[in-house]
Amino acid sequence: MRNRLALGVVVLLVLACGRPSGERGGRALIQNKGSDTLVNVAQAWAEAYKEVNPNVGIAVTGGGSGTGISAMINGTVDLANASRKMKDKELEAARANGIEPVEFVVGFDALAVFVHPDNPVEGFTRAQLAEIYGEGGSVEGWDQLGLAIPGCDSNEIVRVSRQNNSGTYVYFQEAVLGKERDFKLGSRDMHGSKDVVDLVENTPCAIGYSGLAYANEHVKMPCVSTSDNGTCVFPSSETAIDGSYPIARPLLMYSAGQPQGIVKVYLDWILSDAAQCIIQDKGYAPVRAVSCG
Amino acid sequence: MFEASDLNERNRRVERLWRLLFLVMTVLLIVPVVVILSVLIHKGGPVLSIDFLFTEPVQGMTAGGIFPALVGTVWLVTVALLASVPIGVAAALYLSEYAPDNWLTRAINLAIINLAGVPSIVHALFGVGAFVLFFRFGTSILAASLTLAIMTLPVVIVATRESLQAVPQAFREACWNMGATRWQTIRRVVLPNSISGILTGVILEVSRTAGETAPIMFTGAAFFLPFLPQSVYDQTMAMSLHLFVISTQVPGVPEALPFGVALVLISMVLAMNAISIAFRMHLRSKKKW
Repeated sequence: MRNRLALGVVVLLVLACGRPSGERGGRALIQNKGSDTLVNVAQAWAEAYKEVNPNVGIAVTGGGSGTGISAMINGTVDLANASRKMKDKELEAARANGIEPVEFVVGFDALAVFVHPDNPVEGFTRAQLAEIYGEGGSVEGWDQLGLAIPGCDSNEIVRVSRQNNSGTYVYFQEAVLGKERDFKLGSRDMHGSKDVVDLVENTPCAIGYSGLAYANEHVKMPCVSTSDNGTCVFPSSETAIDGSYPIARPLLMYSAGQPQGIVKVYLDWILSDAAQCIIQDKGYAPVRAVSCG
Repeated sequence: MFEASDLNERNRRVERLWRLLFLVMTVLLIVPVVVILSVLIHKGGPVLSIDFLFTEPVQGMTAGGIFPALVGTVWLVTVALLASVPIGVAAALYLSEYAPDNWLTRAINLAIINLAGVPSIVHALFGVGAFVLFFRFGTSILAASLTLAIMTLPVVIVATRESLQAVPQAFREACWNMGATRWQTIRRVVLPNSISGILTGVILEVSRTAGETAPIMFTGAAFFLPFLPQSVYDQTMAMSLHLFVISTQVPGVPEALPFGVALVLISMVLAMNAISIAFRMHLRSKKKW
């Protein structure tokens, strides 16, 4: 029995030593794991990258930011996707394993608030938005905000929202209402960011939210401030990138150490216009303004 | 003279009632199978084509085929079999042919039963800890297949042991009386007479392995990987995870696509089972008792 067990362990160790790393056999593999927010973008990048460099395969796995970060700590991925920053404790754990994670911002998840162009509103505080959208919130009519909107005789705030399995919905809930608070019932729940913008464009009483990428010239984007006397910041790629816009978060990729070789080439490509157009196409803000065909 | 009394009449009515009840229960059993299959064929049938089987997914996995996942599942199942069958059959041979009835044997049997009862997600976490991290296989086919192998070992062991024990003891005794050793007896008499049962166990294992999702999710299966694996150290896509992913994670997937993937997966499993039954019947017809 003992001999057989020992033999088994030896076989496993031999297999372990046989594990090749990096490039081999004409094709190399980059392991990319993490955030479910980013997974569809990561998938689209991997699919497009096949055309760019057919000799490099990108293995994309989801599971959540935590999954990707743990895999980074354990050294089983080349690139971890995260929609939050690594905590100090996680960085320490990675360093304890001899891994120095390097952070790259690959895009932004910035949510703009939309109203009809005739709406005279200048900006909202986050608390006002929470009172409009949140369960038990007191604001039901535009007059409560001191506004009278031409073409909106009913005074009712028509809330336009998203279906509840949308990432945009969840992020808006987290960033504006707070994790524990639900949405108020009775909103118009649309099945796409574009539908939200379309409805707000045609409804004077409406308010909606969506990824900045879906904005058009027929809707108004008021500024958002974190408190009554805070600066009111307009949504834009710049304010999302510098972090001053309150309903935006960076989308991150962590590499194990300074990226080298094929990983560096892939990351450079992700930050290129072609790949940034893909992330914009998926409804997120690119790291900088890009012009896409 | 033997006219039915009232009592007999009543007994017979009760008897019919029970019989009917059991029949209804049995028929109910096949309802889910029939419903599942007909829904899958109805909704998934239209997307099936040679192209669907042999091309890779495109446009954010909302179109195209399933080839990398199909090949990945074949890899995972094959490597899992290569690992679990030799160990499982050897263990069953020991337990059935050699093991004395003592505390160690009883402990091993208990361990096998418990191993069979461990939830697959626990096996998955064990696989991450043992194969991905400790043995440093990384997320790879090897790690995923070994996890699957450990999970399915009890099936192989129990099926093998039962078919070994179905060989009449008299066969062995006759052989020993001719001066054969235990190994010679196993090699020439016991194994040939039990091979059909062993194969059934193995093929049942295959069909279970092909459908498992949890054990491979963390150990070797990828959300998206548009390349075929080249070695056991590669990650791979797999049918079961692909089905999960396109049903829940990817926006804008046409409704028929997940049903098509499910139909292919279930067809693979049913085909395996059919082969197993055919093989078993073929071998049984050669049996000498």
